[in-house]
Amino acid sequence: MPSAAARDMLCHLRQRLAAQDIASTGENFSFPLGAEEALRPLGLPAIDSVLAGGFALGALHELAPVAPHHLGAAMGFALAVATLNAAGNASGRKALWIQTDFAGLEGGAPYGPGLDLFGLAMEHILVLSVARPIDALWAAEEALKSRALLAVVAELPQQGAAADLTATRRLSLAARAGNGLGLLIRHQRTPLASAAMTRWEVAGAPSTPDRFGGIGRTAFDLVLKRNRRGPCGRFIVSWDHVARVFIPQALPLGLAATAHDRPNDARIARFG
Amino acid sequence: MTDRMMRASPDLADAPLVVTTEVKSALRLTAMNDVAARLGLKLGMALADARAMYPGLMARDADLQADRRLLEAIADWCDRYTPLVGLDVPDGLVLDITGCTHLFGGEVALCRDIVTRLARQGLRARTAVADTVGCAWAVARYGQKSIAVCVVASEETRAVLLPLPLAALRIAPKIDAQLAEVGLKSIADVIERPRAPLAARFGQNFLRRLDQAVGREDEPITPRMPLPSVIAERRFADPIALEADVLGTIEQLAREMSGALERRGEGARLLQVALFRTDGKVHRMEIGTAAPVRESERVRRLFAERLATLGDACDPGFGFDMVRLSALVTERQDPTQTGLAAPDHAAELSHLIDRFGARFGLRRIVRLMPHDSHIPEFAVTAIPAHAVKAVGNTALALRAEPCMQTDQETLAPIRPIRLLQRPEPIEATAEVPDGPPVQFTWRRVNYLVAHAEGPERIAMEWWRDSQGRALTRDYFRVESRVGVRVWLYREGFFQDATPPRWYLHGLFA
Repeated sequence: MPSAAARDMLCHLRQRLAAQDIASTGENFSFPLGAEEALRPLGLPAIDSVLAGGFALGALHELAPVAPHHLGAAMGFALAVATLNAAGNASGRKALWIQTDFAGLEGGAPYGPGLDLFGLAMEHILVLSVARPIDALWAAEEALKSRALLAVVAELPQQGAAADLTATRRLSLAARAGNGLGLLIRHQRTPLASAAMTRWEVAGAPSTPDRFGGIGRTAFDLVLKRNRRGPCGRFIVSWDHVARVFIPQALPLGLAATAHDRPNDARIARFG
Repeated sequence: MTDRMMRASPDLADAPLVVTTEVKSALRLTAMNDVAARLGLKLGMALADARAMYPGLMARDADLQADRRLLEAIADWCDRYTPLVGLDVPDGLVLDITGCTHLFGGEVALCRDIVTRLARQGLRARTAVADTVGCAWAVARYGQKSIAVCVVASEETRAVLLPLPLAALRIAPKIDAQLAEVGLKSIADVIERPRAPLAARFGQNFLRRLDQAVGREDEPITPRMPLPSVIAERRFADPIALEADVLGTIEQLAREMSGALERRGEGARLLQVALFRTDGKVHRMEIGTAAPVRESERVRRLFAERLATLGDACDPGFGFDMVRLSALVTERQDPTQTGLAAPDHAAELSHLIDRFGARFGLRRIVRLMPHDSHIPEFAVTAIPAHAVKAVGNTALALRAEPCMQTDQETLAPIRPIRLLQRPEPIEATAEVPDGPPVQFTWRRVNYLVAHAEGPERIAMEWWRDSQGRALTRDYFRVESRVGVRVWLYREGFFQDATPPRWYLHGLFA
């Protein structure tokens, strides 16, 4: 197995060759580039199998809190996914958090010490605040196209109506061009059509208290509403901020996967 | 002054127009146009007398602010000739054209260019070129009125100054009157006299002005704008107006400039593009970068972002006839070895930050740095991403010792990941006065508390608050029954005059 640095070098060389090909012929080849990172696995077999391996790079994923007071949970999950298990992060790439001014007024801004204590170092985050949702979408597109970032998270207030089908399609294409991970957070869930690869609804789950009766590990209640690569489902996971991993939490009751929106050849998985 | 007014309202062209100012409670004439001058009116005459002579006289009040603004606009426009332009209030400019004249075909051609272009804008100007500021000033204002352009050769400086009156030396009118009393009227009278008695009687300043005019003493100009390190400019015989053309010109100028910067081993940190319109207006755009930049493609992209945001503010009018790119701030840039193996994420990222800065403003993209303060709002500072290098590695070195990491013995983080900009007041009821709440209402939703941890007492800095308004906060981390985890605090004590209030400050994951 080649070392991480050699893998890095090979994948970079392949990308440069692919870029040369694109420049000379003007077409966009989509042949697989070999050892290039294509997935960010979460480390949970239940979720990873539904997602066909993990969060797909080169795609846009959407998150929304189930209710506006679960915004913290949505942000925590987004950041955990953004900075987790990045194979090519030996060079210290950063994640970009894009927020409109109104979203900052409504729900607050990322708080440095809190990020540190959640397991995400604040040095790895750049925060961009823009005036309008259109600016946020433009910035997300430009950031996804450049390969300089670990992940790009864009936060839009309310239902994020500016991110309609056209805009999300553009973001998906930009993510594919730059092989980046794009995450779009809306403050409220919306029935709007979107071209994102997966669509999640995130809520905080009650945590199991520790032995002194205090608040236990951060727990998320994730509902995968729409998945292009497999079935949907509902999962309850915990986040260990010291080891920076997700831990599956024992479910209090049996859940069956809602089997819609699945492609023909997806495996049906049952949980609970 | 009258030129400005005549420009503003063209119907005044043929009428005699005077400008009046109130001097000692009488309106007196301070400026007049040609038609009025030909009628025999003199400056300093009372308006009532002038009106008595010519009832059809048009009189306007003097507006010094507008005059000053016009003068500054012309000074901005004269930047196309030389970057060293100084204001000479109320109605003149001083340009240092050392070394610039060959670009315009000589001193006479440069002056003729200025005069014709200003005439096209509706302003009449007289110019004079000389070795010293004093001599040029004197010749321009007190020389022959019919000649608009006068070039004084260096050996003629003294000879040209001799017949001019003493007021041409820029001395105070009081001193001029005193000299006239003694019988000294022109510079020729004064130039050969012994200096000590003149200095004793009329002041050292008088001799200084004389020396400055003749050239014995140096007089620098105070330029209005800082002098750039490197300039590249291009003039167009046929003005350009399309955005694509402007960007292409900027790219070519950046290429020229990169050669000059490379020879000096520097890169530009602050670039300015000045677009000179044919009708005299100047648009300037500035771009700051995080790291020194030399590549023309990057410079072009940054200015493309800036033009995209400016939109209609940068209206070309009839076209731009000159585009100038100047590097106002440069920094040493050593050539870096970019390996084929490792992709250069840092350079890519800094270029992305530059582009976001050009589009939205450099203060909008920030990095979070820890700050040593126990007050939660100030425990982190946001530093603009392009300035992080300036802050230096000391801040990051201090981070080697984690600020709060080891204090956590709990399973849940003790600081929220989202902090509201202003703590929101909530209604909460607690079981015991000092205890955590059992239920609270935030944004019209009621939450029942399942677990709570705290209190964490954070007292405000008493040395900053002299009126005792900042109250101690007791922070609690609470989790509601459905799993919402928030950070709230109670402000104030029960012994105080006002009952304590509850606020919600942050959200946990």
